Amino acid sequence: MIQFSSVSKTYGSGKDAVQALSGIDLTIETGEIYGVIGFSGAGKSSLIRCVNLLERPTEGTIKIHGKDLTSLSKKEVRQTRKDIGMIFQHFNLLNSKTVYHNVAMPLLLSGEEKKKVSQRVADLLDFVGLGDKADQYPDQLSGGQKQRVGIARALATNPSILLCDEATSALDPETTQSILELLRKVNKEYKITILMITHEMGVIREICDKVAVLESGSIIEQGTVFDVFTDPQHRTTQKFVRSIMNDGLPESILNEINRKEHKHIYRIQFTGSTTGYPLLSRVSREFALDLNVLYGNITELQGIPYGNLIVEFIGERADIQRALLSIQQQHITVKDVIRDAG
Amino acid sequence: MLVDSTQIIEALWETLWMVGFSLLFSALIGLPLGILLVITRKGHLWENAPLFNVLNGVVNVFRSVPFIILLVAIVPVTRFIVGTSIGTAATVVPLVFYAGPYIARLIENSLLEVDKGVIEAAEAMGATPNQIIFRFLIPEALSSLVLALTIATVGLVGASAMAGAVGGGGLGDLAITYGYQRFDTTTMYITLGILIIMVQGLQTTGNLMSKKIRRS
Repeated sequence: MIQFSSVSKTYGSGKDAVQALSGIDLTIETGEIYGVIGFSGAGKSSLIRCVNLLERPTEGTIKIHGKDLTSLSKKEVRQTRKDIGMIFQHFNLLNSKTVYHNVAMPLLLSGEEKKKVSQRVADLLDFVGLGDKADQYPDQLSGGQKQRVGIARALATNPSILLCDEATSALDPETTQSILELLRKVNKEYKITILMITHEMGVIREICDKVAVLESGSIIEQGTVFDVFTDPQHRTTQKFVRSIMNDGLPESILNEINRKEHKHIYRIQFTGSTTGYPLLSRVSREFALDLNVLYGNITELQGIPYGNLIVEFIGERADIQRALLSIQQQHITVKDVIRDAG
Repeated sequence: MLVDSTQIIEALWETLWMVGFSLLFSALIGLPLGILLVITRKGHLWENAPLFNVLNGVVNVFRSVPFIILLVAIVPVTRFIVGTSIGTAATVVPLVFYAGPYIARLIENSLLEVDKGVIEAAEAMGATPNQIIFRFLIPEALSSLVLALTIATVGLVGASAMAGAVGGGGLGDLAITYGYQRFDTTTMYITLGILIIMVQGLQTTGNLMSKKIRRS
């Protein structure tokens, strides 16, 4: 478990002081995959580096499994770091060493015996799918393979936490997918808690259980990926969600809606169990309304279906009001599209 | 020609001797100094502004004195260390004062080229400062360090030739006393030829070693 309590980080002092983080409260439960998203400069890098004290917070405490890191001696910090693996955007492998040596490095630093090390490295390379690359050098590998080496290296000391610093940002979409799958496997098979920072919402949707949105050094929104994606509160969050959820309306539909200005057009959002409910036909029958579906899509978030329909209600105004009320009572979200402007 | 081949061979030996010993001692001084110049920097492993400023200043002072002047200026120090200020052994002292700070700068440059991310990764895996220096910083910079030492060696060959000015012996001495002062052009060209071959050989060896390290 990782607990941030009112963590702040300021670089420099006096007039040149830059506040990178302010009052961060965040709890990451054991076994979770937790994503922190933000635009560049939001403070993501500082945040993730506070977990293994590569950056020391100016204020506040960080507890790993209940132990306050900021109160530890240098030696104890180094010991704790062996329990926290880290992978990087630019991999940060030793170019002068073979894949084998790169992965073995954390073990050699701890003075493990050679035989144990070679067995462990062989297992790790098999796990990340690079069993045949032990004698190659990093510059002979592709970006995805380098990140696999990075992951194997991070796992060498059997950590309970893995920090991913923009781990897929330098990779193409296909390689990103395969690395994310590997990270999911790391989480499932080794029960390792993963904290990742990224600016790609797709990464969060793909593997995270929970997400926090960071802006100007503060967390502006956090929750389960499902909740944040289906009901983003803050503008920045909405921007991130819209960047991949495809729930914005296509241009042609928008034009259509604008032409029907004084019509009643609503966005209906179904989540989870309500997606299976025959809502439209029931409403249509019960309130004697005609319903015209203009646009719709259904996606899946964390294995839960999530539907999004744009529906034009045709009928008496009073009937429409009653219908909307009845829909809301089913715990289904309805929003006026024209008033919301998309 | 006013000299015979035994004199030339003797001079060659003296040059090799001077360069070899001064390289050894200047590397012994330059390496730790170069490492300190890197790790005491702001934001580095062992940030220490006062120490950095002092070292940086000292290195600059020595680097700004032309060798021919250094040679004379530190005569008392030379006399204190070797007992005399004349001869081949006495030349090694100013050569070390000249090349040590130079090597420190070259080493500093090589080490600064190492990707900061690698050091960050090392810290993240719980490496001690010593481990970071000897298992990350130096191995990653090794091939560039070899090139830096090659440059320093070639510089020492050149500087050792000036040792003739204090009767230091070696090829440069030969070229000045016979070639220049007694107009013996042949001796001049022969010593020049040997120096050229020596420098070519050193540079080629350095390049090969650096290349080999990069790939092994």
